[in-house]
Amino acid sequence: MDATTVLAEINGHIASVGYGLAAIGPAIGVGIVVGKTIEGVARQPELAGRLQVLMWIGIAFTEALAFVGIAVAFIPFP
Amino acid sequence: MMTDARPEPADRTPTSNPVLKRALAWGGVLAAVILVVSAVLGYVFAGMPGLWGGLIGTLMAVVFMGITAGSILVANRFAGSDLFVGIFFGIVLGGWLLKFVLFIVLVFVLRGASWLDPMVVFLSLVAGVIASLVVDVLVVAKSRLPYASDVELPKAPEDE
Repeated sequence: MDATTVLAEINGHIASVGYGLAAIGPAIGVGIVVGKTIEGVARQPELAGRLQVLMWIGIAFTEALAFVGIAVAFIPFP
Repeated sequence: MMTDARPEPADRTPTSNPVLKRALAWGGVLAAVILVVSAVLGYVFAGMPGLWGGLIGTLMAVVFMGITAGSILVANRFAGSDLFVGIFFGIVLGGWLLKFVLFIVLVFVLRGASWLDPMVVFLSLVAGVIASLVVDVLVVAKSRLPYASDVELPKAPEDE
């Protein structure tokens, strides 16, 4: 058994690794969106309404990636 | 006699509420359309499991995408509180976390089910997510939010 064979051996469900990869982007994205909204509201509380709408649409787009990433588990692999 | 000169506490409800309510309403309408379309397509291509797959996939997408707007609406009920910012982000992000835990649990429960077609679930879920994003963008693009939104001018003093 050479080194390549040993390195390529993975136990468990490869889809869980895929979910981990799919979660990284949305986690960073939602963190940035919410953090920036907090900054904006702290700076100009009277704009809270506008900023909430922008935050909501930002979260919606970011979490869509996470949803599709998790839902990939439904794809029947042979 | 001393009178309290301070103005009445203004209604501090953020102006985002009508936009979010409209988005939820239109999202519901479009969800009904996609529900029918994906159920019919699922039935045509995969029989009864396809029909269930279309229904469940669309419902999951729309419900989970709608929870964000719903949690913001719930959180805005606490707008008068001194701790509003903390309560707001607690409810919105707590709801977000709860939603993903529920979603993963659903995926694990439904994945092995023989009574639904997993590929139809996946495709209708993606269709539902994209459709709800389209609705969100259209509603926000057509909404009018006043620039200085949550400002209330002091009331004119009344004659005694």
